[in-house]
Amino acid sequence: MSTEPYKNVSLLPQTNQLVGLYSIIRDKDTARPDFIFYSDRIIRLLVEEGLNHLPVQKRDVMTHTGENFPGVDFLGKICGVSIVRAGESMEQGLRDCCRSVRIGKILIQRDEETALPKLFYEKLPEDISDRYVFLLDPMLATGGSAIMATDVLIKRGVKPDRIFFLNLICSKEGIDKYHAAFPDVRIVTGALDKGLNEQKYLVPGLGDFGDRYYCI
Amino acid sequence: MPMTVIEDYLSPPSPSKMENHKRRRRRSSVNSTMSYDSKVPKYVPPWTTPYIIGIGGPSGSGKTSVASKIVSMMNVPWTVLISLDNFYKPLTAEESARAFKSEYDFDEPSAIDLDLAYECIQNLKNGKKTDIPIYSFVNHNRVPGKTIPIYGASVIIMEGIYGLYDKKLLDLMDLRIYVDADLDVCLARRLSRDIVSRGRDLHGCIDQWERFVKLNAVKYVKPTMKNADAIIPSMSENTIAVTLLVDHIKSKLDEKSARHIKELNKLCEISSGHNYLTFESNPKVIEIEKTPQVNAILTMVVDKDTDRDNFVFYLDRLAMILLSRALDDLPTYKQETLTTPSNYEIREALRCNFDQITSVSLIRSGDCFMKSVRKTIPNITIGKLLIQSDSLTGEPQLHGEFLPKDISNFEKILVLQGQVITGTSTLMAIQVLLDYDVKIENMTLVVFLATEIGLKRIINAFGNKVNIVVGKIVMDIDMKNNQMRWASTRFIDSNYFGCT
Repeated sequence: MSTEPYKNVSLLPQTNQLVGLYSIIRDKDTARPDFIFYSDRIIRLLVEEGLNHLPVQKRDVMTHTGENFPGVDFLGKICGVSIVRAGESMEQGLRDCCRSVRIGKILIQRDEETALPKLFYEKLPEDISDRYVFLLDPMLATGGSAIMATDVLIKRGVKPDRIFFLNLICSKEGIDKYHAAFPDVRIVTGALDKGLNEQKYLVPGLGDFGDRYYCI
Repeated sequence: MPMTVIEDYLSPPSPSKMENHKRRRRRSSVNSTMSYDSKVPKYVPPWTTPYIIGIGGPSGSGKTSVASKIVSMMNVPWTVLISLDNFYKPLTAEESARAFKSEYDFDEPSAIDLDLAYECIQNLKNGKKTDIPIYSFVNHNRVPGKTIPIYGASVIIMEGIYGLYDKKLLDLMDLRIYVDADLDVCLARRLSRDIVSRGRDLHGCIDQWERFVKLNAVKYVKPTMKNADAIIPSMSENTIAVTLLVDHIKSKLDEKSARHIKELNKLCEISSGHNYLTFESNPKVIEIEKTPQVNAILTMVVDKDTDRDNFVFYLDRLAMILLSRALDDLPTYKQETLTTPSNYEIREALRCNFDQITSVSLIRSGDCFMKSVRKTIPNITIGKLLIQSDSLTGEPQLHGEFLPKDISNFEKILVLQGQVITGTSTLMAIQVLLDYDVKIENMTLVVFLATEIGLKRIINAFGNKVNIVVGKIVMDIDMKNNQMRWASTRFIDSNYFGCT
């Protein structure tokens, strides 16, 4: 069962298995196929945890033996929004649970002149304001791009309490900064790291997620 | 000389009682002061107590035909027919040369390795896997490296001229049959068999008969008649005699089945006295948390109107959740220093050996987990067991086993099954794995749905040592109130694979 170490932060249960999975993806000696496979496994767990926060409604069904079964049904539409490029690695995990889910994309990059994050591109579902949104970005370090992306979503009419920000690793510093801007967005994560170094990388972290997943 | 090799009518089942005994002894010696142990019901799996029939009588008396008649009239799967011819002793070069000149006496008791036969039958009686040698009459030796593996069976019939000769073998038998015929009839049968079917010449046959067969028959075989429980005439039509015997055997098997069912029921009764019997308080039994997602998935799974596409999709999702839960408590070891790509060092990082996990799927329902197993551990080895319940007696029968090499060396063995209903096939699967020296603590049974009765049987039969991860447990009371009868029918695998 997940815990809530801070308000609106869901942390996956720190089981032997999960800690073991993280050790694999943190290890610099892990080859790319393993990095991808085991990251995907963690992502799947994050998606499952995120989905658990969505509402359901009562639905009675008939079993094949002709008995009434008091069940429940998913309620509400969802969509994913990934922050290009690293966030796209989490799309498949979402699709594995929600087959035909719509996925929007946001590209935010550091402006070379100002050194501040800048929105370069966004493509989102038309009716995003009616949906629950899974915001996908594997690392929450400074929160700069996540805050900007969330801002885009809210400007499109998405309610903050309907946004779930899924990441593999975050730090207290990142959570505080992000929640200072959007206290009602739920962060779903699997690991809380110590903090950031001078280059604003998570410590111990796992290096550059996008590079490891896509290139190196 | 008879050339029949062993015939196993259906490749038969099963595992070991010896192991069971050992384990029980070990446990009771350690825990003898605890009342717990005396209360634990002794479950003797039905496949470890085969009914053993010995058939003896002179060569040509018609033993094989009586044995075949019994087999076909019994019509029970797991009837194994073993011929003592398989146990001929290997010959030396000199003996072999004599044999080729028809001067070796194959019809003397000492030509047959009765000790080895005893060992094999003893093993089968203990439910252990047994290898029956194959004898080559061309080389007068056992065919090297080739044996017929047999596991315990419901009924074992051992036939041969010395079927009723050896005292130790006789003691293992439940029924001893002597097939009688006058020696002139035997000779006539032998001649027609050896000349017509085996292309021998008349002179050699008669010579062998006079020199060896007849003498031995009179000296050694005929006297074994006194060891028989029943003597079957072979001269005339013996259908009535065989029918009587078959009825007797069937009634004995029925008694055994009834005992088995009683024992199974006892496993649930006694359970209620134990504190580990509420599932909630039992750390060995994990029913996955009923999150909104899990509830919605379960609803899709039991809804008869869910189409196949959705059924497969949602069952796969449930499988992933179950497997992940089953692996949560993997053993860890410490890596002294783990270095991240940014050169941070993590001291004593916890690692899991994901390659130390294997899985055993019960065909067919356990195969519903296959896709998800591969998505959890990509290169996992997968064993399979085919266990079917006899439709009349409900007794589980092992039809096939394909297990990873050195399965007992794995840290975690996932036993995968779709549903636990009566629990009998699961009991057998676990028993088979125990016979492969898998430690019971290392097994985790993973099932989508389970009944209270089935789970209690499993828990009690193995002293609450099996780890169980289950999607939903359906309680007895709900089934009795006719609210959840769906849980007592196998529907998961037929829906998943789309064939009933």
